Amino acid sequence: MKNNLDTGADNYFSVLGLPISFDIDKTTLTQNYHELQKTVHPDKFANAGDLERRLSVQKAAWINDALETLKNPLRRSIYLLSLHGIELSDNDTSIDPAFLMEQMELRENLSEVVAKDDPLSELDVILDDVNARIKRTINHLGGLFSKLLSESDSENDDSLLKEAKAEVLKMQFLNRLQEECLNKEEDLADQF
Amino acid sequence: MALLQISEPGKTTAPHQHKLAIGIDLGTTNSLVATVKSGLAQTIADENDQHLLPSVVQFKGKNEQGYQTQVGFIAQQNASKDPQNTIVSAKRYMGRGLDDVKKHAIYDFVTEGDSVVPRIRTIAGNISAVEVSSEILKALKQRALDALGGDLTGAVITVPAYFDDAQRQATKDAAKLAGLNVLRLINEPTAAAVAYGLDTGSEGIHVIYDLGGGTFDISILKLTRGIFEVLSTAGDSALGGDDIDYIITDWILEEAQINEPEASLLRQILDTAREAKEALSQQDHFAFSLDIGEGKIWEAELSREHFEKLIKPLIRKTLVSCRRALRDADIDSDDIQDVVMVGGSTRVPLVRQIVGEFFSTEPLVDLDPDKVVAIGAARQADILVGNKSDEDMLLLDVTPLSLGLETMGGLAEKVIHRNTTIPVARAQDFTTFKDGQTAMAIHVVQGERELISDCRSLARFELRGIPPMVAGAARIRVTFQIDADGLLAVSAREETSGVESSIQVKPSYGLSDGEIETMLKDSFSYAQDDIDARKLREEQVEASRVVEALNAALDEDGDKLLSSDERDEIRQAIDELVEVAQENNQRAIKLKIEAVDKVTAEFAQRRMDVSINLALSGQSVKDM
Repeated sequence: MKNNLDTGADNYFSVLGLPISFDIDKTTLTQNYHELQKTVHPDKFANAGDLERRLSVQKAAWINDALETLKNPLRRSIYLLSLHGIELSDNDTSIDPAFLMEQMELRENLSEVVAKDDPLSELDVILDDVNARIKRTINHLGGLFSKLLSESDSENDDSLLKEAKAEVLKMQFLNRLQEECLNKEEDLADQF
Repeated sequence: MALLQISEPGKTTAPHQHKLAIGIDLGTTNSLVATVKSGLAQTIADENDQHLLPSVVQFKGKNEQGYQTQVGFIAQQNASKDPQNTIVSAKRYMGRGLDDVKKHAIYDFVTEGDSVVPRIRTIAGNISAVEVSSEILKALKQRALDALGGDLTGAVITVPAYFDDAQRQATKDAAKLAGLNVLRLINEPTAAAVAYGLDTGSEGIHVIYDLGGGTFDISILKLTRGIFEVLSTAGDSALGGDDIDYIITDWILEEAQINEPEASLLRQILDTAREAKEALSQQDHFAFSLDIGEGKIWEAELSREHFEKLIKPLIRKTLVSCRRALRDADIDSDDIQDVVMVGGSTRVPLVRQIVGEFFSTEPLVDLDPDKVVAIGAARQADILVGNKSDEDMLLLDVTPLSLGLETMGGLAEKVIHRNTTIPVARAQDFTTFKDGQTAMAIHVVQGERELISDCRSLARFELRGIPPMVAGAARIRVTFQIDADGLLAVSAREETSGVESSIQVKPSYGLSDGEIETMLKDSFSYAQDDIDARKLREEQVEASRVVEALNAALDEDGDKLLSSDERDEIRQAIDELVEVAQENNQRAIKLKIEAVDKVTAEFAQRRMDVSINLALSGQSVKDM
């Protein structure tokens, strides 16, 4: 198994001055991010030559991406997996059939919301459910990654990684569903 | 380890020279120019002590020197007498297509040849909105030069936060035509926040509600120790005070039973509608008395109550954006410290009332809603040219609209989501569909909807030079980069062979490079000699900038980060550039700069990496 954890190369955690972990100290993250942008942001290179201006746009974009990745639990999980040598592909179908059935039901409920008497509060019920599921998945992922990153023996790593990957795939579904709920809410709100 | 060099507090290593920089608020109705003088940001008045310049340009014909124009108050007065040649609210047409501009327009729009840009037929020929805007910018630039004297280093120009890529590019094109060096395009609400935040120094979350003449923006910002971080922005780049005027105009047309008015009468009614709007912000009634032709005078009265009833749906429309911005910022209304009102249209009492009710707080109206944007822009310009080297202020803005690509079935796949902090770069991989395929077409759109047809087309790209392979074997990585001006750039590379694919950009709206070049040449201010002289001058400035920056970099880090061979190579390249820059050969200077860039790229990269590492170690020293 390829493992990028100990290569010492710049990863998003080290560039933002944080230990590699699922749990993030948000205050330190923001503070460090600000310090870095004060150094590399294109506004600091408005008087520099073309070469440095281009370089600063690239670096600032990279640091913005680092922040986005570490701030968002799903992106953070995918990134942690990639540091362990696991890449997600678009056509991964190794997802739990029972979970898929649940998703289809939720989706069906969502599509029926418009016809209800009080669509906004119906939607709230679904959204609360989805949010609760997301929260559970995040907690689960947090547990898995802390085991993965703390245990010195790597005997269980493969099964932990497999489990984490399965949770990440679920989280992708849930996030998409959450986004659809919010879009629907926006559409409904616009009508009033 | 070498010791870091630190200069004495309060002293910079280079002698300080004040550079002239301006901030420009290029508005739909009025425009302003401001600058920082002796540490104070202020707007610059014309010779009649007027700060606002009406964004109105009258075209008066063309001679061998180019077209003759009248900009500002006089043009505004002539608008109803010469409606076809006097262009009002040109900002609404920036970066737009023929279908977009036809609504409400009293002008005769045409397109020319292959160009997708709508032009207005005038006595001086067919004129694009970019050219109209460039006349306004020229007038403001001249005003600044008259008032301040000296060489202008550059300008920060503000745009509505909700402007899309085409509208931003059009603004930058207008500046280019006006001969302005654009230091940065910044968003109007962000500029207002800078002016407001630096005045009050209040940390926390601020909402900027900016309803201008033709555009509406809402931005939510967080201010922490000099850093203005935009959390979210939303809006409508075709909603503003003009639309209130249209509503009143429609009411007048109906009440007075006027069908299909002539352009001059329509202009007159629009002007009266505006007068009524402004009056009804102060008083309870407005009495109309309007000469509607054929010796008929139409008289009527409009009460504030009825006026508010007419415009209420329009104002409520802005709340949809407010709701969305709040959601995207992921904050509660309780977290909001204050709501700042910007833009002339926030003078309408109903706007203040509805916004106040929505945010459950009394909106702040104590800033001059007209001037605050230009003042913020001037402050940012002052910092960008380096007049304040110790300034800790930094703006972190976002892209207002999601950027996507067309996929199978006319669906849009998002590559960069709205409210992502800029600059941002995202890569997307593509592969070939057929064996031996060497080219590929990509359609880029901006917008939030799933269907391509509901999004705004930005451009179509054609990738060429893909090495022939079996279907699905090529891996073409296309990188979308949005820079600090909010402008998109695209590059592509075939990953398995490392071949750089060439990209041909066909903007869906906007001027091509060729069209801009032609306009520059046609423009009276730039005879061919002038253009060449200007290009040479710009290249020499760039050369001296490169030399200056490199010498400073060598002094600072040369010994630490370079071997002696590397140092010698760079020194030699600098010497050669200095020599070439003294001659009057623009092309040679350009080539030499490129050569220097090549030799120093690695050094620049190392320096940047070191400063990134130092940024956080400096932080931990401070914490101890």
